[in-house]
Amino acid sequence: MTARIETPAQALADPACRRALVELLYQLADDDLALGHRDSEWMGLAPHIEEDVAFASIAQDEVGHANAYYALLVDLGEAESADALAYGRSPGEWRCAVLLERPNGPGHYLKDPQFDWGYTIARHYLYDLFEMVRLEALMESAYLPLAQLAAKVRREERYHLLHMETWVKRLARHSSVSRARLQAGLEKAWVDLYGLFSLGPEGPAMAALGLLPGGRDRLWQTWRERAQALFAEAGLPWPGDPSPVMLDGRAGQHSADLEALLATMTEVYRLDPAARW
Amino acid sequence: MAEERLEYHIYEVFAQESQMAPAVHQFSLLASSPDMALILAKENFLRRQKAWSVWVVRRDHIHRTGPEEAEMFDRLDKSYRETEGYRYLKEKWRRYKHEPLTTQTMT
Amino acid sequence: MPDDYRQYLIRLIAMHGISEIMGALPEKEWVPRAPTLHRKLAIMAKVQDELGHGQLLLRVAEDLVAPLGMNREDLLNGLFKGTIHFHNVFHMPAPTWADAGIIGWLVDGAAIITQGMLVQGSYAPYCRALERIIAEESFHIQHGESICIALAEGTKAQRQMLQEALNRWWEPLLFFFGPPPKSELTKHQDLGLMYRLRNRTNEELRQRFFHKYVPRIQALGLTIPDPNLRLDKETNTWHYTQPDWSKFKAILRNEGPMSKARLILRHSAWEQNRWVREVLSTRAAVAV
Repeated sequence: MTARIETPAQALADPACRRALVELLYQLADDDLALGHRDSEWMGLAPHIEEDVAFASIAQDEVGHANAYYALLVDLGEAESADALAYGRSPGEWRCAVLLERPNGPGHYLKDPQFDWGYTIARHYLYDLFEMVRLEALMESAYLPLAQLAAKVRREERYHLLHMETWVKRLARHSSVSRARLQAGLEKAWVDLYGLFSLGPEGPAMAALGLLPGGRDRLWQTWRERAQALFAEAGLPWPGDPSPVMLDGRAGQHSADLEALLATMTEVYRLDPAARW
Repeated sequence: MAEERLEYHIYEVFAQESQMAPAVHQFSLLASSPDMALILAKENFLRRQKAWSVWVVRRDHIHRTGPEEAEMFDRLDKSYRETEGYRYLKEKWRRYKHEPLTTQTMT
Repeated sequence: MPDDYRQYLIRLIAMHGISEIMGALPEKEWVPRAPTLHRKLAIMAKVQDELGHGQLLLRVAEDLVAPLGMNREDLLNGLFKGTIHFHNVFHMPAPTWADAGIIGWLVDGAAIITQGMLVQGSYAPYCRALERIIAEESFHIQHGESICIALAEGTKAQRQMLQEALNRWWEPLLFFFGPPPKSELTKHQDLGLMYRLRNRTNEELRQRFFHKYVPRIQALGLTIPDPNLRLDKETNTWHYTQPDWSKFKAILRNEGPMSKARLILRHSAWEQNRWVREVLSTRAAVAV
C-alpha cells in the first residue's frame, strides 16, 4: 500500500518522491507539448477543411494538457511559470519520447511542407492509446493533484482516440494505396515506439511510490492488448514487439528534430524572455 | 395483383421558427413516406408555435453518439478562446480613455 | 433565383469562403512560434475559427454551385487557376509576431465592419453563416487587441515591432474595403446594392473603420503613417492619402507580395493530400 500524497508540500518533503514525481510530470507535459506543436504545424494544410478544424482542436487540447502539467511543476517549485518550463529549457532538459518530436514529414511548415497524413495518423493513434492507458493508471496515482488532473484530461483524450481509431480503420480498409500509406507510417513510428514506454531512470520509483501505478509493465501490457485488438479489427498485421531505441528521450537524449522544434517554438520568446508577450 | 405493403418508419421532426432560426428538434412520428411525414408533422407538433419551415428525417438516417460517449464533449478550461478570458481589456481601454469595441458597436 | 443574382452570390460567397481559408495562412505562420502557451492556444483557436468560417461559407457556396454541376473541388481549382480571387489583404507578408497582432486587431476589425453589413443582406443561407461567424469574431478582436496592447505596453523593442507592423499594414487596410465609388473597379458594388446584398459603399465602410480605429490606434501611442490623415469635424469625414491603387490592381492579378507563395503553399498541400480525400470520398475497395 503506497502513501497518499495530497499536497505539493508533502511531495517535496521526501526527496525520492519529489525526484520521481517531477520526472513523471516532465514526461507528461513534454510529450503533450511536443506533439501539440507538431499538430499545430498542420494548421491550414490538412487534407480536408473539416478535418483541418477538428485537428486544430486536438492540437489545442494537447498544448492545454501540457500547460496543466507544467502548472503542477510550478506548484512543486520547478519554475515561476509554465512558460518558463515550456520555452526556457534546453533540449537535454526535455523528457518527451523521441516519437513525439519527429516532424510530420519532409519539408518545413513555412516552406514546401510535404507532410505525411499516413505517418501523422499512425503516430497519433499509437500515442493517444498510450496516453489513454497512462491516464487510466494516473487516475489512481498516489499524488492527488495529478490523479484529479488525469481524470479531467482523460475526457478530452477519449475524443482524440476515437478520432484516430476512425482514421486508422478507414485508411486500413479503404484501398491498397491508403493501406500502404498507413502501414508505411506505422513502420516509421514503430522505430521510435519503444521509447514511448521508457519511464527513464526514475521509472521504478514512479511505480514503487504509486505515482504511476503498475509502472512500465502495466502500460505496455494494456497498450499491446488494445492495440492488437484494433489492428485485428482493421485487418492490419501486427508488426511485432518494438526494438529498443538508441535515444531515450526520458533520459534527455533527443534527435536534432527536437532542436529544430524548439528553435521554431521559442523564436519569439527568445527575443526577450523577460518581456510580457 | 397483390398490394405492395408500405413500411412505416419513424421520422424525427425539426422546425425552424424563421428563416434565420436554427432547426430545432420537436418530436417524432410514424409515417409511411416523407411527404406524409411532412403533412403530419405540422398538425402534430406545430399547432401553436410559429414556424417557417419543417424538416423530417428518417430516424435510421440519423447517426448519433451514445451516452457512453457523452463525456468526450466535456472540455477543460478554454478561456483563452472565450471573451471572458479577455475581460481585463475593458479596464485597459478605460485607461486609454476608450470604450472597448464589440461586434455590436461596430456593425 | 435570377441567374445574375446566383452568379453574384457565387462570386461573393466563394470568394469570401476561399479568403477565409487563404486568410488563415499569414497568421498560421505564427502559430508554432507564439511566444507563450496562452498565446499559442489563443492563436490556434483564432486560426481554427478562420478555417471554420471558410468551411461555413464554402458550404453555402457549394450549395449554390451544385445546380451547375460543381463542388468544393471546383471552387478550390478556381482559386488555383485564378478565376476565384482571395481577398486583397491576405496577399501581404507577416514577418513578425506583431503582424499577427495587427491582423487580429485591425484586419479582423475591418472584416467585422464589412460582415456587419453583409449579414443584413437578402440571401438567408449566407446570413445564417455570417451570424455564426460574427459571434466568434468577438473573441478575435479581443485576441488581436490583447497582443497589440501587450506589445504597446512592453519594451521599446516590442513597441517598435508593433509600430513597424502598423506601418506595413496601413496601406493594405485602406485597400481592404476596395476602391472609392465611381471607379472602374466598382461595378460589382453596384450589383450588390441592387440585390440588397450590401447597403454601404466601400468608402462608407472605410470611413466607419477610421471612426472606430484611428482614435484607438493613436491612444496606444502609435503613429499612423499618413501625415494627411485628419477628421473634418463639420462633415464628420476622414481625409487621408489615397493608397497606390495600382498595387491593388496588381493584387487582383495575383501579383501581390505573397500571392504566388501562398497559392503554391495551398495548392501543393491540396495536391499532396489528394489521396486522403479519395479515402473520404470513395467507397472502400479492400475487403477485410
